[in-house]
Amino acid sequence: MKRRDFLKYLGSGIVGTGVGLAFGKVTKPPGAKLIPYLIPPEDVIPGVATWYASLCTQCSAGCGILVKVMEGRAKKIEGNPLHPVNKGRLCARGNAALQALYNPDRIKGPMKRTGERGSGKYKEISWNEAVSILGRNLSELDKNGATEGLYVLTSTLRGHLNTLIREFMSSYGSPNYMQYELFQHRNLIYANRVSMGLDAIPHYDIANTRYLLSFGADFSSTWLSPVNLSHGYGEMRQGGARRRGVLVQVEPRLSLTGANADEWVPVRPGTEGVLALSIAHEIVAGGYYKGADASSWKELLSGFSPEHAARVTEVDAGRIHHIAKEFVKTRPSLAIGGDNLSAYRDGLSCLVAVNILNHLAGNIGRKGGVVPNPAGLLKGRTGTELRKDRITALAKSALEGDVKTLIVYNTNPVFTTPAGVKLERALRNVPFIASLSSFMDETTAMADLILPSHTSLEDWGDDFAEPSTGVRVATLMQPAVSPVFDTRGAGDIFISLAKALGGKVGERLNYKGFPEYLKESWRKIYANNKEVAAGALTFDGFWNRLLEHGGWWQTEEPRHKPRSVSVRRVKAHIPTSPSEFEGDEGRYPLYLVTYPHAGYLDGRGANLPWLQEMPDPMTAVVWGSWVEINPKTARKLGIKQGDLVTVESPYGGIDLPAFLYEGIRPDTVAVPIGQGHRLYGRYAEKRGVNPIEILPVAEDKRSGELALNSTRVRLERKGADGKLVKMGVRTEELGRGIVQTITPEEFERIAGKEEA
Amino acid sequence: MDTIKKLVLCAVIAVVTFGIGYKVSDAYFGNRTPAQPIEFSHKIHAGDNQIPCMYCHSYAERSRVSGVPNVKRCIGCHSVIKPDSPEIQKLKNYWENKEPIPWVKVYNLPDHVYFPHKRHIKAGLECQMCHGDVQSMDRITRVSSLKMGWCLSCHTRKKVKNGRDCWTCHI
Repeated sequence: MKRRDFLKYLGSGIVGTGVGLAFGKVTKPPGAKLIPYLIPPEDVIPGVATWYASLCTQCSAGCGILVKVMEGRAKKIEGNPLHPVNKGRLCARGNAALQALYNPDRIKGPMKRTGERGSGKYKEISWNEAVSILGRNLSELDKNGATEGLYVLTSTLRGHLNTLIREFMSSYGSPNYMQYELFQHRNLIYANRVSMGLDAIPHYDIANTRYLLSFGADFSSTWLSPVNLSHGYGEMRQGGARRRGVLVQVEPRLSLTGANADEWVPVRPGTEGVLALSIAHEIVAGGYYKGADASSWKELLSGFSPEHAARVTEVDAGRIHHIAKEFVKTRPSLAIGGDNLSAYRDGLSCLVAVNILNHLAGNIGRKGGVVPNPAGLLKGRTGTELRKDRITALAKSALEGDVKTLIVYNTNPVFTTPAGVKLERALRNVPFIASLSSFMDETTAMADLILPSHTSLEDWGDDFAEPSTGVRVATLMQPAVSPVFDTRGAGDIFISLAKALGGKVGERLNYKGFPEYLKESWRKIYANNKEVAAGALTFDGFWNRLLEHGGWWQTEEPRHKPRSVSVRRVKAHIPTSPSEFEGDEGRYPLYLVTYPHAGYLDGRGANLPWLQEMPDPMTAVVWGSWVEINPKTARKLGIKQGDLVTVESPYGGIDLPAFLYEGIRPDTVAVPIGQGHRLYGRYAEKRGVNPIEILPVAEDKRSGELALNSTRVRLERKGADGKLVKMGVRTEELGRGIVQTITPEEFERIAGKEEA
Repeated sequence: MDTIKKLVLCAVIAVVTFGIGYKVSDAYFGNRTPAQPIEFSHKIHAGDNQIPCMYCHSYAERSRVSGVPNVKRCIGCHSVIKPDSPEIQKLKNYWENKEPIPWVKVYNLPDHVYFPHKRHIKAGLECQMCHGDVQSMDRITRVSSLKMGWCLSCHTRKKVKNGRDCWTCHI
């Protein structure tokens, strides 16, 4: 390089730096701003958090939460340590509620449809206009004497919002208030009713049991009240000085709970009921059952010898005998039946069979067994009538033109019903649909009017957990932050609708707003219930304590009252043969198991990026869908890990990547539910597939509930790149001794030595 | 051809150094005494009139931040005291328009540093130790570098418990 060139370069460098410095000085803003409050809100210290006790509504367990709020913004959610359901713990879904509150895809204000139905074209309108549009629609129905044409469909609400809607509907004159969710556990309630006359979900006292026989109940991730039951499981395994309990998991696909079990019994799908009755047969035949009606049980169960059951269920007869002996001899023991079971065409019967097991071993009403909850503070539940109040019935009424106006709140049936139900087509037949959803989802897209409601962190409400924990539990929901957008509480919307309607409805719901209704209702509970009122001098003092603690619950130990199952009652309900499956066995050789994803549940969590990022606990897959295939089956079909595979049922096909999974029977494949949203915000849309679409429109023979687990499928390899994204690559430990195991007996021996 | 190559190289060097210059301009030309939207004088308030620091910066002993007085607090006194002065007219305008005053930050720590005022006040430090002779300043000037070495020198000198631990400030 010449000296002159060097100087030129140096010069341009110096000039460049100089101009850069000067430019930066001139153009950059003079630094961050310090913006003071104009008028400081009461009780706010910037930088110091305020914690509000409230209720989690991410699933129907009804956990108590504490919301950390700083400068009016919700920052973190923790479990409420005082709350008996979750005892200070919280699951991933509960944590992710923050992202529902601050989700960029929330509907920001009321909207009216302007384009074709389903086109997604909406115009923003004011709340006054929105309420008056719906009010006019309902007045017109009333004028034409067609009040029964009003249908309201919500999630499984249990608190005072439920009572409010019921009051609204009855004073308006419509019996058509329905609740629908994919995992509603109705079969469980029906089974308890027909077998032990208990019209509820009892508390399954896992914490105090010593032998837990679980038929496909994935209580660690999604079943009933996962935080409570997982905590109970921890107690059962390592609680205090008690002996470590045993968990036996009976399921065709190994779930997270199954992975924690001492024994996995990979039963043939649809035969769990037969297996349960065969275990019952062994209990009675072995003379372990001492009841007076032992002989009639013997007669009832005579067709379920282990030898016969072994052929049907593909579980060894010796193993059945062993489980029966352990189950009845270990005290206390407990049998539970999960979502897998209740979604067979024999779902109700399978759950009855599980109840029979609990009866024969004397587990009902005992500590460490099935503990019925005391009657709730609120009387009456909506929608547990057998064969009524079903989503298929709604679709039928809509098709026949009976549904004139539909109001939907907090449920997304278009996503969660099989395509065969043709709900979307039926809804097109409804003249007017209003959605109270905070998010544009598949059902809300059908709406003519959207009245967006608050998320749970902005709203008032309450809940009476079911299953509870053997005691009465009421949880209060209070706003932790002021509304982020121009939304309203669902209760407030109904009350302002009542005002717009006037007449009988307006008179019945003459409240300023939902908070006032809630407080008045609690005033009644306070006045009528000495136990609730105990320790409080005035209602206001009591109300403040409610807000402070996050609710009210009994603190004493649950009372145990034995119940029994009689032969007469269950005779007509027991499963006599394996559940039926759709699809010819030759053409569709594999069973399909669909299960709720640990993060998305029935699909509601798919719009929260934290949950999308969370690796599935068993497969470590993130962001997408997958189909679990046994490596043996995959080899036979020429399918490799990550290949794109078509899963085809008689009702349709879906394409998704293959995940080779040793924890599934070779004749079964499994697909998680939750992905495959057409609409539901940027994080959920066009991600994975929705297996519900290819599920059959089959019903439980006895209860009429949708039987989701009742189809066979076939697989076909479609291509090499299925775009399977997963955390971690290897599932083998390659002799590195990462997972150390010992047998329970060995553990007992060591533990015994240490104690001595 | 050669000339074009050289010109391009010159241009590239100029652009790159321009970027560097732009980026570091704060470090050399950063204003330690920025102009504020209102010519508020700490000398008059804290110096001449002896108003304690924490009368206005009221969160200092309770929170991470010391807090800037809310506009209501300013106007509370100034609706009576010297309401006609031109600077207080500005304050009045903000109040009447219901707008907060956009003060310019003088002491600005990056987000990866956790600095609680509360702990330092509880340890008995005077505000002036870090903020300088505020009661004699008309317009606030930053007197400390706010660099990590400056923090550590004090933590070391005062033998602060875990004072040299990374996690004490970077949490």
